[in-house]
Amino acid sequence: MPGPVTMDEWKPNPVVKPHKKRSWYLAWKYKLMNQRALRKLCQTGAVLFLLVTVIVNIKLILDTRRAAYEEEEESTQDYDDEMLNVEVPRHPASTRKILDVEVYSSRSKVYVAVDGTTVLEDEAREQGRGIHVIVLNQATGHVMAKRVFDTYSPHEDEAMVLFLNMVARGRILIFTIKDEGSFHLKDTAKNLLKSLGSQVAPFLSWRDMWTFVGKKGGEVYGEKHAKSPALSTWGDPVLLKTEVHLTSMEDAECHWPDTELNRRRRRFCSKVEGYGSVCSCKDPTPIEFNPDPLKDNKVFDVPVAVIAGNRPNYLYRMLRSLLSAQGVNPEMITVFVDGYYEEPMDVVELFGLAGIQHTPISIKNARVSQHYKASLTATFNLHPEAKFAVVLEEDLDISVDFFSFLSQSIYLLEEDESLYCISAWNDQGYEHTAEDPSLLYRVETMPGLGWVLRKSLYKEELEPKWPTPEKLWDWDMWMRMPEQRKGRECIIPDISRSYHFGIVGLNMNGYFHEAYFKKHKFNTVPNVQLKNVESLKKDAYEIEIHRLLGEAEVLDHSKNPCEDSFVPDTEGKVYVMFIRMEQEADFTTWTQLAKCLHIWDLDVRGNHKGLWRLFRKKNHFLVVGVPASPYSSKKPSSVTPIYMEPPAKEEGAVAVPAVAAAEQT
Amino acid sequence: MQKINRNVVLALLTAASLVFLLFQLSYYRFYLSQKNAAVFSKGRGSQSGQDSTRWHVVRKFLGLISSQNIPVYLIDPLVLGLIDKDIEQIRSSSDGPSPECKYFCAPRDFTTFALLDKTWKHEMDLFRTAEKMGFQWLKILNKDPRLDGMDDLSGTEIPLHYIFKLASHAIHLVVFYERSGHYLWHGPLRLKQHMDRKFVPFRKLHFGRYPGAYEKPELLLASIDDLKVQIPKNPSSFLEEISHSRFLECRYREARAFFQLYPDDASLDAVEFRKKAKSLLHLAALTLNNLGVKFWLSSGTCLGWYRQCNIIPYSKDVDLGVFIRDYKADIIPAFQKAGLPLKHKFGKVEDSLELSFQGEGDIKLDIFFFYEEDDHIWNGGTQAKSGKKFKYLFPKFTLCWTEFVELKIHVPCETLQYVEANYGPDWRVPVKMWDWKSSPSNVQDNGVWPVDEWDDVIQIY
Repeated sequence: MPGPVTMDEWKPNPVVKPHKKRSWYLAWKYKLMNQRALRKLCQTGAVLFLLVTVIVNIKLILDTRRAAYEEEEESTQDYDDEMLNVEVPRHPASTRKILDVEVYSSRSKVYVAVDGTTVLEDEAREQGRGIHVIVLNQATGHVMAKRVFDTYSPHEDEAMVLFLNMVARGRILIFTIKDEGSFHLKDTAKNLLKSLGSQVAPFLSWRDMWTFVGKKGGEVYGEKHAKSPALSTWGDPVLLKTEVHLTSMEDAECHWPDTELNRRRRRFCSKVEGYGSVCSCKDPTPIEFNPDPLKDNKVFDVPVAVIAGNRPNYLYRMLRSLLSAQGVNPEMITVFVDGYYEEPMDVVELFGLAGIQHTPISIKNARVSQHYKASLTATFNLHPEAKFAVVLEEDLDISVDFFSFLSQSIYLLEEDESLYCISAWNDQGYEHTAEDPSLLYRVETMPGLGWVLRKSLYKEELEPKWPTPEKLWDWDMWMRMPEQRKGRECIIPDISRSYHFGIVGLNMNGYFHEAYFKKHKFNTVPNVQLKNVESLKKDAYEIEIHRLLGEAEVLDHSKNPCEDSFVPDTEGKVYVMFIRMEQEADFTTWTQLAKCLHIWDLDVRGNHKGLWRLFRKKNHFLVVGVPASPYSSKKPSSVTPIYMEPPAKEEGAVAVPAVAAAEQT
Repeated sequence: MQKINRNVVLALLTAASLVFLLFQLSYYRFYLSQKNAAVFSKGRGSQSGQDSTRWHVVRKFLGLISSQNIPVYLIDPLVLGLIDKDIEQIRSSSDGPSPECKYFCAPRDFTTFALLDKTWKHEMDLFRTAEKMGFQWLKILNKDPRLDGMDDLSGTEIPLHYIFKLASHAIHLVVFYERSGHYLWHGPLRLKQHMDRKFVPFRKLHFGRYPGAYEKPELLLASIDDLKVQIPKNPSSFLEEISHSRFLECRYREARAFFQLYPDDASLDAVEFRKKAKSLLHLAALTLNNLGVKFWLSSGTCLGWYRQCNIIPYSKDVDLGVFIRDYKADIIPAFQKAGLPLKHKFGKVEDSLELSFQGEGDIKLDIFFFYEEDDHIWNGGTQAKSGKKFKYLFPKFTLCWTEFVELKIHVPCETLQYVEANYGPDWRVPVKMWDWKSSPSNVQDNGVWPVDEWDDVIQIY
């Protein structure tokens, strides 16, 4: 530090001080000036460096800002769902605690309005007669079920009692009569209505008008009644206006443990009514079944398409039986609902299955046909690796060994080109004509009602020429046509693995069901080991038939085949009879025989080259059409084929089979 | 005094740069702290280098999915890129601990995994467990494309993407669906209105900008940075697939509108032709794929796909395009071996090459070879009797996957331009009378083959 020291020394001459300092500075400057070039270089370098730093920094700031901006931009552009930019309107949580309910009852019109929204309106002529019932959720006011019971007709009151008993306590019930609802309203039903709080129900009589709103197991919100003054006239229309107090959500729901299953159950039970114990608070019936898995299950990966319409109660029953069948794989099940119906989808969700809705195309049978096509195409699209699909309908019960039956037989479809399908249904398998759960047949007709379709058949043959919507054809009749079937056959079991319980359908009415389906045999034995599946292949089957015919005992052709005594009182034997069948399409005698045996006679089913196989009195019973059948050669020359004449045709008798042919889908 | 001023300027600049430097430093620190929010204590990773957030999140995620028995596999392009370099070592290495964290420790926003839809259920349980473990999750649903081509089926929406976020790292789980044509498909990632746009920086995702199509990969269970994880057995070919995976859905809605206007021909002949054309296309695809020759739907077949999602029943042949650089001399013998004899060969490899093979029935398989120029692509045509040459010009295009008659197959991504170049602006209107020499709107005369070359460039069998 020489500076300060010199300063002290030079005190008497203060002027010099700055000079001295300056000289030091100058010296430094001079020194630098001596290295002028270097200094210049340094300076420029520094300035350049600084400038670059500044620019880079500014760029960095701009970049980060832009990146942040782009991030926002991009996420709102590239990744935006252009399809779904419509905001879904949310229902504001209803804060109202009171519902206004209006119920109208008259001869030709009924309606129910809740809070100004019409939830039921029926003024169609010749329809909707009887007691209309609506169930509301006591917490939300939503409609949970809508039914009409034609209590003018017999037994409908029983159905109503059954339904009302299934409704959970606390639900709001609305009743209204259209036209007539008392003629077959028996005491049991009247008493039930009385127990719900109705004062009038016990005295309801011919053509009275009546409306009633009450809570199951609780208060009555209102009731109105108009007596019919005379037999020939109706009571005056009545309009009931009342208020219903909503309860809290907690009170309206059961307190099931919080599991995935119960969450599904809760969602279901708060939406719909009429499914009985599945919504019981105390002891709800299970919705997961976990049946035993099948050993070596060949159909575990085969997709199952359930074809459904708007019959949710049927679908519920059907899915229960399907999910209880051994070897079922719920992952492979898809339910196809024809139309935008909510309740069938609710049922599908309850069981945790996949459901697909189909916009209805065309009308009547063509609509069903289009629905089938869409469902089958979708099934193979969803399961591109599948070689087969199982096709079921919503009005079938499924046998416990349904998948076991398919698992044992499905390889036939793969190996035998002459097969069209495997079906779980035997058209001729009635209580009195089917016996052996391990026995399979080959038949020329396609029974449907639970069957397996080969993908190649569908993709290569059926799909491209499936009847178009404007052709009002039945899909199954179309599939049975020779152009499609091309002489191929289906494998069926002797005892059906499905049961057709449907009554109210497009193609079905009560009479037909009673006559043709109710007494159908249905296998309930699990794990049936099928007998000699290999013999169902084309050539092996002929050997098998010849063997059977060779061992069969020829029945006494002088007796009446309709009589029970036609077949001896034995068990486990094989009998054969010969009927007249002039050519391949001559089914005159067969139809008469089928009629008197009380089996399917509306069209010809279950034949294989002019041969029918069934059971009578626990004996295997073969019917051979002579001379059309190739098996005619087995007929002893002494035997004359039986001929049965059709009864004289009555007016309109022709129309019946024509219509009925469509019945069995 | 001027010199001093200069020094002042210098000092000022120094100060400014220092300030910037400080700012930079602090910004960087801020940035870092945002990236690696210190959720995990440093002590948790047993080895040095494995204390990265990413590694922990991946480990947690793998724990989560294995607790739910969901098989996932790694498809992250960056990690697979690293893995690919050491693939031999990874394949052969035993379970011994790896010395350092090489793959999952590079700081990234995402790690991407894939899931096959068939192996997927009980979603709710997964989410609950994930939440318990501290994950935030996002699910992206959309329409099921497998039902898209169907007349008015509305299935429930299917999950396409899941994102699980923990701390500063997110796991992107892409759901793959198997579709007709034996391939895997994943959907695009599209956010719906109410979704959190800032949940993760979606822009940086490797999957989801477009839908994609992939072969079913063979998997390998490997130990990567001490984590047991499934990876594609051959990462390099998978990485190669990623770069060309973009998938185009057929325009089913437009096709339906087309059929409203021009009802489909459902005659037996049409059904029969379509069946044969489909099997010819399947055979051609099999043959070319076996040779490793890239090809796409061209001309009428491409138009059929684009306009009506089907084979045009009156088109009489199947048309494919191949870049001339992909030409292989084996093509002709391979087709012959597949039962498709050569019908004619026009042009030569250097110019206007075109091959025709005779399929079953009267159906012909045409393979046009495309030549790339700077600003366009062209293929050639030859009239057999006159030796006239034609040139068909197309704007440049890239290739995308699509599904057609149950095949995963290429089409030009810029299909509209391609079709318009070939068929003009009125391509929507069916034309049954088509002359390949004059009808296309992109045809040009291209001279005549020299007569002495005819034997070579016009071969008819």
